[in-house]
Amino acid sequence: MTAPVKGWLRSGNHWQGAITLPVLLVVAFLVLLPVVFLLEESLNTGDPMAFPPQQYGLANYAAMLEEDLQVIVNTVVIAVTATMMAVVIGFTLAWILTRTNVPGRDRLERLMQLPYYMTPLVGALAWAVLASPKSGFFNQMWRWVGGEGDLFNIYSMFGIAWIMALFEGTVAFVMISAAMKSMDPALEESARVIGASKLRTALTVTLPLVMPGVLGATLFVFAEMLGSFAAALVIGIPARVYVITTAIWDSTLSYPPAYGRASAMGLALFVVMFAMLSGYRWMVARGSFATITGKAFRPRTMDMGRLAWPLFAVCALYIVLAVALPLAALLLTSLERFATALLSQAQFTLANYEMALALGPVRTALANSLLLGLGVATVGVLVMALLVWIIYRSEMVGRGAVEYLVMFPQAVPRLVFGLALLWAWLNMPIPIYGTLWLLALAYFTVMLPIGVRTLAGVVLQVDKSLEECARVCGAGWLYQLRTISLPLLKPGVIAAWLLIFMASVRELGVSVFLMGPNAKVIAPSIVGAFASSGIELTAAMALIQTFTVVVALMILFRLTRGMTRELT
Amino acid sequence: MRFTTTAAAALLLIALPSWCQAQGKLCDNPRPMQGFKTCADVDKAEAEGAFTLYSTDPEAGQVKLLAAFNKAFPKIKTSYVRLQAGALYAKVLSERQAKSYLVDVIQLSDMGMILDFQKRGGFRQYVSPEMAAFKPEYKSQPEGYWTWGSIIMGGIAYNPNNVSAAEAPKTWQDLLDPKWTDAVNVKVSNSGLQHGVYYMLKPILGDDYFKKFAAIKPRAFDSYVQQYGRLVDGQDKIIMGAQYSGYIEFKAKGAPLAFVFPETGVPAVSETYGIVADGPHPNAAELFMDWFLSPIGQQALSEALLLHSPRADVPAPAGGVALKDMKLLVPADWHEFEKSRPEFAKEWDRIVGARR
Repeated sequence: MTAPVKGWLRSGNHWQGAITLPVLLVVAFLVLLPVVFLLEESLNTGDPMAFPPQQYGLANYAAMLEEDLQVIVNTVVIAVTATMMAVVIGFTLAWILTRTNVPGRDRLERLMQLPYYMTPLVGALAWAVLASPKSGFFNQMWRWVGGEGDLFNIYSMFGIAWIMALFEGTVAFVMISAAMKSMDPALEESARVIGASKLRTALTVTLPLVMPGVLGATLFVFAEMLGSFAAALVIGIPARVYVITTAIWDSTLSYPPAYGRASAMGLALFVVMFAMLSGYRWMVARGSFATITGKAFRPRTMDMGRLAWPLFAVCALYIVLAVALPLAALLLTSLERFATALLSQAQFTLANYEMALALGPVRTALANSLLLGLGVATVGVLVMALLVWIIYRSEMVGRGAVEYLVMFPQAVPRLVFGLALLWAWLNMPIPIYGTLWLLALAYFTVMLPIGVRTLAGVVLQVDKSLEECARVCGAGWLYQLRTISLPLLKPGVIAAWLLIFMASVRELGVSVFLMGPNAKVIAPSIVGAFASSGIELTAAMALIQTFTVVVALMILFRLTRGMTRELT
Repeated sequence: MRFTTTAAAALLLIALPSWCQAQGKLCDNPRPMQGFKTCADVDKAEAEGAFTLYSTDPEAGQVKLLAAFNKAFPKIKTSYVRLQAGALYAKVLSERQAKSYLVDVIQLSDMGMILDFQKRGGFRQYVSPEMAAFKPEYKSQPEGYWTWGSIIMGGIAYNPNNVSAAEAPKTWQDLLDPKWTDAVNVKVSNSGLQHGVYYMLKPILGDDYFKKFAAIKPRAFDSYVQQYGRLVDGQDKIIMGAQYSGYIEFKAKGAPLAFVFPETGVPAVSETYGIVADGPHPNAAELFMDWFLSPIGQQALSEALLLHSPRADVPAPAGGVALKDMKLLVPADWHEFEKSRPEFAKEWDRIVGARR
């Protein structure tokens, strides 16, 4: 063996190439294949059921502008409002819980994540019970104390945004927390030493330093809100406020299905998302956000003195609004013979739980969802960590394109991407349609953005010099990854794992179209119950699902106590 | 002469199988089972060991129905997929295009889709001995491709706690009163029943009826469950085209509801069943159809989903009015009904505010 070859092998380059290239090819295939089908369908102006299309044209895009303009405006207004609320709530709570000495921090943090454990319908159903005009609990109480009319009306654009921010915005809290946990407190301490107030330190030091995490979270949450479905379904339709997802839902449910219209609407969001992603890359590229350097640090919190209790109250208020009240409202509903917020006519029973537990397919669906969550999160987080390393740390040509590529599934509403995945995989010669394997592949594909964004926020904080040091000292690529990069990324990796696990267990958009008679998952079953079996049964099923997921996570954290100390 | 006879016999031999197929041929010797007759090979069906139904019916009811079949044939494991009609039909068509055959029997609540599926060769012909009990208009022509499994009708429902009997609408025209503005709910445009209501009432009540109806700003929902839920809670006062089986279900639970059968009549549509061609369990599919179309299968359906059986010898669901006591408005030409769907969908979306 010649000396140059020996040197190349020793450097670890061959491992790097052998691992990264196949991963990139597989990811590109998984993401691009459905997008190609989606593009083709958006141009299909003939029979929507014909594959390949028999007529092409731009009629679907023209019809979208002609007939669905109000829908697009509603979608953008609600998504922007919800994103702003979610990021403000997420940043505030993340700052309180990671950078201050608020009492009961660990417990509060665990409770804070509860909304993300719940199926997306839970929040919408619960707030419909709490704040409906005429019969909502809040309005009943208002009239009981002598008020007139309705104090709250959840059936409004603000109502939809509020529920989205409260329940789907939890992801902003988790992503920003991960970035804050990895931040060296020395800079905050310096600011305090030279006389900056705590609030000023938070806004002028903490916020700019965790900017990649905040921007990543904003980008992700905005995309999530554009594609949000549950609140729009439960609250939007009674309010006669249609957004893109509910319009798409209707398009795919009608016959002949308006797949072209749905695809065109889905692809239209690409433009918005690409502009946002470009902005994010521009901001990240022009600033340095590395706060984890070769200098050792220990995460420390600020002593808030008497302010700690008001901060505790802020967290407690969030938990009351997003956890306690919704769960109480759902528990009450699940015990009713027919769902009603008017307690004078309510009749109580345990029949809904009996029915939910008797539904054999629901038990199987719950087990399948947990299995998929565990599998996709565990395998997915490793692959996504590698992708993040390729995007932000490697010298590979076209790594910027990889970042755009992995964001594709987020840029299209999940329901539309689900349809695209259906067309793509039905036309593949591999017989995995109708099995859990296809759902696993689909989940991995649609979870790429959340995993990569969460990990990227943390990777950007780790100074490259640490990896360069390792290389100078002669460490191979894998050795450096194992001993330097991954340990530093641990909080981000764990946060990403948790997010992917939960997003998989809650997944609805692609599951609706890809699940087969023997490969069912829980979220579509719960939405199906909402659509066809009544809110009382839906509430019982949602509570059983939430309880099962919380218990499963508790067992998991207990079993892996050493690894997941941050979460337990 | 001999040549002519031989030629005629040969022609008969060639033509007979296809004629029989076209007319639908019952097997020679149906086998009596527990309460029904079958032409299916029961041993083979049990050896297949599984049966898959695609259906639009509520999950809880569907589980009960399949459990009743499984009780009669414990060796046959049942599974199902439940989606709304449009999504379910699109799914099955996509699967068939990709030659992925997962479903044995399909139920759809929209006759337009049923006729389209038949035209595409999606059904396999099987003449069940139980089909003799169904009227000709409830079955495919030729027989054996699809059969009505139940009949759904839509009237007017209200909550007597919020609307007095005197004030309640008695006719379809009464719903146009401006006092019902923002107080009426309906189903969305992909509902087969809502399409039936629109299709049957428009010629009777006049072209401008639904234009005036749009002025009271009705809200549209996916299912009767949400519609009745809003009535019970007082968020809406009236359901236009209220699904009768939903009324029976909620009433049985003690919900404060009343139902009106307008004199003009109540529009009705069907839930239709057929065996899917190239299904994975063909013998189990035949056995299911025989069981399902028999009085015991229809009784199980009535108990599980509170739907009316098209069979005259099966009673109405408990607490419900019998079919013979209703004036049903059923489309006479299903092909015309299907052709009107795109126009209905656009018009209905506008009426309920789903489009500009």
